[in-house]
Amino acid sequence: MKDPFEAAAEEQDSPPESPIPAEEDVAVAVDVDEEEADAPSQPQASAPPGPAGAGGGGKGKEEDEEEEEENMDVEFGKFPSGGDPDKMAKMQAILSQFTEEQMSRYESFRRSGFQKSNMRRLLTSITGSQKISIPMTIVVSGIAKMFVGELIETARIVMTERKESGPIRPCHIREAYRRLKLEGKIPKRSVPRLFR
Amino acid sequence: MHNSSSSGPPAKPRVGTSQASEASLKRKRGVFQKDLQHMMYGFGDDANPLPETVSLVEDIVTEYITDMVHKAQNIATKRGRLLTEDFLYLVRKDPPKLRRSSELLAMHEELKLARKAFDVNEDSLANAE
Repeated sequence: MKDPFEAAAEEQDSPPESPIPAEEDVAVAVDVDEEEADAPSQPQASAPPGPAGAGGGGKGKEEDEEEEEENMDVEFGKFPSGGDPDKMAKMQAILSQFTEEQMSRYESFRRSGFQKSNMRRLLTSITGSQKISIPMTIVVSGIAKMFVGELIETARIVMTERKESGPIRPCHIREAYRRLKLEGKIPKRSVPRLFR
Repeated sequence: MHNSSSSGPPAKPRVGTSQASEASLKRKRGVFQKDLQHMMYGFGDDANPLPETVSLVEDIVTEYITDMVHKAQNIATKRGRLLTEDFLYLVRKDPPKLRRSSELLAMHEELKLARKAFDVNEDSLANAE
């Protein structure tokens, strides 16, 4: 198995790929299209720090300073190892064209995440032990966030097919979950779940 | 017909928080609610996602994480402790997730080193006075 740090040095693309390519002719999914269009390029451009402050304050990341720093770094993209000037220039060009709503959504996309403390508590309760390292919470949070992304994007695709609009409803999520299961993106339970 | 066994959604009362820290199936609802609302908006939902949708996504994600951890534990017990690498192994077939996880780990290491260097500088400055 490759050393993860070697892999990080080689690989460059970070954002999750959408399950299905963007639909061009749907008004509702405009913002989703923008993000899916961004997906192949790398979101390492320095996002404007101004509105970020207001948005970041309410995200409940008061405690973990480490978490705050990590999100800030992701925002301002100072990774020389991944900094492809071409991609960064493209990203900057795209970002400069964003409407206010698109920028707000993109900011939420970059800055949102699971609270480290909550994640650690959940992992501890699942494993029943205390040996939850910080890197482990980081990795699980990252994987879980991408999974949420897959769910929501698939749910939007479902809505598009059904020609519905507005906030996502549980039925869309359930259909999205069913489709992800068919794609094999949901870990299968070797032991069936009792007592639901 | 009333089913008196402990079935149904894990909607445990918040009173028993001190007991919840013990290894149990108790799960508070809405633990990730705030985070999820922002996340769902970022990924394409409405600015104010429906509460029932957020709850459902939280349930799904918690189940996903639980299943992942159990799978990781199954792999890990052959070797010993549960390690971060076990999770990387789990997502090896999902290139975006693997790349992102590796990137996050690398960032974390960089930050650690940067902070260490900062502390060393602080110390040497303090000693110089």
